[in-house]
Amino acid sequence: MPIVDMQKISLFAHQQEKDQIVNILQDLGSVELVDLKESRDWEEMQALLRPEEATEETARLETSLGEIRYCLDFLQRHFPLRKSFVEQFTGSKISISMEEYADFVARGEEARNVFEVCREVDTGLTNLRNEETRCHNLLAGLLPWADFSLPLEEVKDTPRLKMQLLAVPVDRLKDLQENLAEYTPEHHLEVVSAGRELANFFCIYFSKDEMRVRDLWKETGVTEVHFPGMTGTITQSIEKLEGKIEGIQRERENLRQKVVGLLARRTHLMAYHDHLKGLLAQKKAIGNLARTDAAFLLEGWVPEPLVADLKKMLSEKTETALLIVRDPEPDEDAPVLLENNRVTDAYEVVTRMYSTPRRHEPDPTPLMAPFFFVFFGMCLSDAGYGVILSLLAYFLTRKMKLKGMGKQLIKLLFLGGISAFLAGILMGSWFGDLINIRPLWFNPLDDPMRMLIVSCILGGVHIFTGMGVQAYQNIRGGKILDAVFDQGLWYLFLIGLVMLFLPQWSSPGKWMAIAGAVGLVLTQGRSQEGIFKKFSSGLVSLYDVTGFLSDVLSYSRLLALGLATGVIASAINTMAGLLGGGVVGTIVVIFILLVGHSFNLAINTLGAYVHTSRLQYIEFFGKFFEGGGRPFRPFSKTTKFVEIGEREA
Amino acid sequence: MTGVVLAFLGAALAVILAGLGSAIGVGLVGECAAGVITEDPDKFGQTLLLQALPGTQGIYGLLTGFLIMQKVGIIGGALVDLTLHQGFYILMAALPITVVGYLSAICQGKAAAAGVGLIAKRPEELGKAIVYAVMVETYAVLALLASIMLLFGIVI
Repeated sequence: MPIVDMQKISLFAHQQEKDQIVNILQDLGSVELVDLKESRDWEEMQALLRPEEATEETARLETSLGEIRYCLDFLQRHFPLRKSFVEQFTGSKISISMEEYADFVARGEEARNVFEVCREVDTGLTNLRNEETRCHNLLAGLLPWADFSLPLEEVKDTPRLKMQLLAVPVDRLKDLQENLAEYTPEHHLEVVSAGRELANFFCIYFSKDEMRVRDLWKETGVTEVHFPGMTGTITQSIEKLEGKIEGIQRERENLRQKVVGLLARRTHLMAYHDHLKGLLAQKKAIGNLARTDAAFLLEGWVPEPLVADLKKMLSEKTETALLIVRDPEPDEDAPVLLENNRVTDAYEVVTRMYSTPRRHEPDPTPLMAPFFFVFFGMCLSDAGYGVILSLLAYFLTRKMKLKGMGKQLIKLLFLGGISAFLAGILMGSWFGDLINIRPLWFNPLDDPMRMLIVSCILGGVHIFTGMGVQAYQNIRGGKILDAVFDQGLWYLFLIGLVMLFLPQWSSPGKWMAIAGAVGLVLTQGRSQEGIFKKFSSGLVSLYDVTGFLSDVLSYSRLLALGLATGVIASAINTMAGLLGGGVVGTIVVIFILLVGHSFNLAINTLGAYVHTSRLQYIEFFGKFFEGGGRPFRPFSKTTKFVEIGEREA
Repeated sequence: MTGVVLAFLGAALAVILAGLGSAIGVGLVGECAAGVITEDPDKFGQTLLLQALPGTQGIYGLLTGFLIMQKVGIIGGALVDLTLHQGFYILMAALPITVVGYLSAICQGKAAAAGVGLIAKRPEELGKAIVYAVMVETYAVLALLASIMLLFGIVI
């Protein structure tokens, strides 16, 4: 039974038990709640019901959740938790025990303190960064003057003398010195430093020459340099600033130590985050309820096998709950839950990536699984690669606790490895031609045409299976004529065509093809109006045979990808074989083999997966599968960061 | 020996053009992916998967090149003396993957780059993003198949 039957439940209970019941449902995680406002009876009910309760509690929860997210982001920014490459696909959660979780939740208020510290440290760090930037800017201005030995407070005008710190573009320094000697021969000019762009100098001249000198400044692009508020020599100032920057770095280190102290709380925060999220989900669920002053009503979907559990829990833990269970009505939008056995459930991930089946559709997974298995193996088609892929998948499942799609995907790769191993034995491919073992069947490199025919025959079987499912669906839906005309006649026509090409079968094949073609011309236009239209669309439908042809040829990729694996593997072996001899040679050979075959395995596993999926989606599903069902999304505790283990005995 | 020159040309073209196409395609996806990573570094694995897709044409080209090299005896044997006719056969056999590989890798790169945009918003739809890109790859696979079958058919 690939699709689980759903039951619609209505639950009435007293207001007082509301929180309790919502809690039970969340822990059970087997009920999908229905928003009553969208149900058909809402308009009748509305008059009886009380409006929404104030959402103060929700707002408070959201604030706390926001604070915790801020803390976690802050910690992530300074001490990031990196996800490994595999975890990026599968997600990673920290495992904690039930006791730890309960303890974390009980001490939830401490999160508030962590938040205060985080904010304080964050502001502190921002201030420090600003201060540091300011110091660095000052320092950059001071450094060119480091050789200037006069204390800054002494650089000031006297009644007769002007003293200035100045800067001029380097290439005009010479001009300046010459002109200055001309304008006022009595002056003192001391070049302190010359950088790439500016030359810095100290200049003393008589006040009476000020006008002329200032004109000269203007002409040559001289700018005045000031160090407001600074006293002592430049060197002293630089030392002071450097000391200050060091202080800032020390202080930052202190603050970071504070953050390090908080790191121990990260798991706590994560657990509390998930707890609050669960609470928030409960509050939202309560929004779906209809209620009067004393009672409330809740509607939802439950998978049929789990109804008994729900009944038991409710009767044990509550006093007023009244549960009404009924079958869904035909036009009701019930969610879909897939259920497959231990082997085929790996292939659910393929179906789900395409679409969830509709409620009345069969789940294509068990039918598709054997084809996927075979095709994947043919694409990878190397016994050595198969063994390695299976081992890798096995170790991954061992090492990581995976759930849902991630687990299914790894299992799919594990099965794919087995399939590739079998294909490799049949076709005699062990890491390409590295290990020479005679094929059990034949090597496609020796006879590619034969392999092409095998691929196309498998493709034909795949496509015919798809059509068969459509025929079955038509018959089950009472449309027997559709099954005969749309699938039966096509079977007749296509099989006849194939037999035409086989000498011993060609004469019955001819008649089958003709009978099929005539039948198709007569029936394919049956939905059209008028005899001419019926006939012409019947005739045009024969053109679909090109569609079948291209579908079958599409399976030639099984040959192409299989060859690609083998030839690239052999090329790697050949390259490695060109070297060799001596210790260094052997090491290089092993290196080339390792890297090359790892690369080939990775790229061909990817290729095998995507191309096999494509054959299912386009060639197979296209024949019968509509999809578009709504996956079952139970109201449950979904965690983002932590995974809560079972209670320890 | 004139035939050998043409066979070399065929091998070189298959490797050069299919490889170039893949380089362009993979580059296109990489640019998009880098943009997504600035927002969410955890999507690296998923985007890398999409980036790898247009890379296969280059491998198909190399594969065809290797087959030709094997045929003319550069790898594993002495150089075979080819007639002009045989040289042309080999050059022609390399054409499908050369031309289709080059163009399809670029088109596939564009489709995969769009897929990167898709998973930036909806990471759960990675499967569909991959399928769109793989639809393009079909034609590269068919071209490779044609090249291989032609090569196997040449008698030297």
